[in-house]
Amino acid sequence: MALTITCPVCGKRNGYEFKYGGEEKGPRPEEKDLDPRAWCDYVHMNKCVAGVQEEWWFHKDGCGSWFTILRDTTTNLEIEKKEAQNDEQV
Amino acid sequence: MNKTQRVSPVVLKGTPAKTKNINNWEIVMEYEGEGDGPYLIDLTHKQRFDLQDSNLAGQNPFQMTIPEMPGNSLLDKGILINRMNNTQASIYNFGETAVAMPDDSGFTDVTEATLFVALVGKNIFSICEKLTTLDFMDPEKKAPFLFQGPFSHVPCQIVTLSKDIDNPGLVITCSRGYGRDMIHAVLGAGKEFGLKPAGEEKFNDFIKNL
Repeated sequence: MALTITCPVCGKRNGYEFKYGGEEKGPRPEEKDLDPRAWCDYVHMNKCVAGVQEEWWFHKDGCGSWFTILRDTTTNLEIEKKEAQNDEQV
Repeated sequence: MNKTQRVSPVVLKGTPAKTKNINNWEIVMEYEGEGDGPYLIDLTHKQRFDLQDSNLAGQNPFQMTIPEMPGNSLLDKGILINRMNNTQASIYNFGETAVAMPDDSGFTDVTEATLFVALVGKNIFSICEKLTTLDFMDPEKKAPFLFQGPFSHVPCQIVTLSKDIDNPGLVITCSRGYGRDMIHAVLGAGKEFGLKPAGEEKFNDFIKNL
């Protein structure tokens, strides 16, 4: 299935125009008193969700924006944020 | 040697019928046997500026207002302004005379860092369809409008100047290093439609008829 991604600047485009930037992991941990294991987990460990996950993408062939989308990893289809919220409520 | 020589990355096969030297660029104004279109026209000598500012609304380059929405463009008196994203816009000067770059640190002259060509005439969107998945005929888009996307697999800025069936035209700009291969791809895709190189006069006529 061909992946399409919705760039906030350019709109819906072919997935080949984008570069994957990894899972959204929340804000960078505070450096003060950060132990190496926690830092290593933040940088390298992923949840590898089978289902909907929030992830970063870079529009490398277009406007150069970094942004997040929701994607269902089992179908490789982008999910609209409203749709994902409805699923969570069910 | 004390004379500046400016060289376009675009080399078009054809016999120049009329040339002109403007600002040290050797420009072909007309080729022999240009036919009746569609045309591929080298505009690399036309000035192009990049503008970056966190407050683009506060900028009025050439007494023009920068469009608010990314993807929108504004053409006035030969100056085209394209809104790229929240903080960036590109400016092309289609005029026959050079303009001075505004005296602000947000502006960069990218004329000699990029190539710049125009596709003008019938069937140009059929040619583009062979090279990109971008939808130039999207009814929601009103010319002029900007696409930032791959054209022949190269990241480009593409501005559709007219979707008019009798007088369609667009301009493409990308990094200068892609010049030879980009022209090869466009001419190859346009072969079945009779795409031919044309001189700058054809583009000047096109702009006047917009």
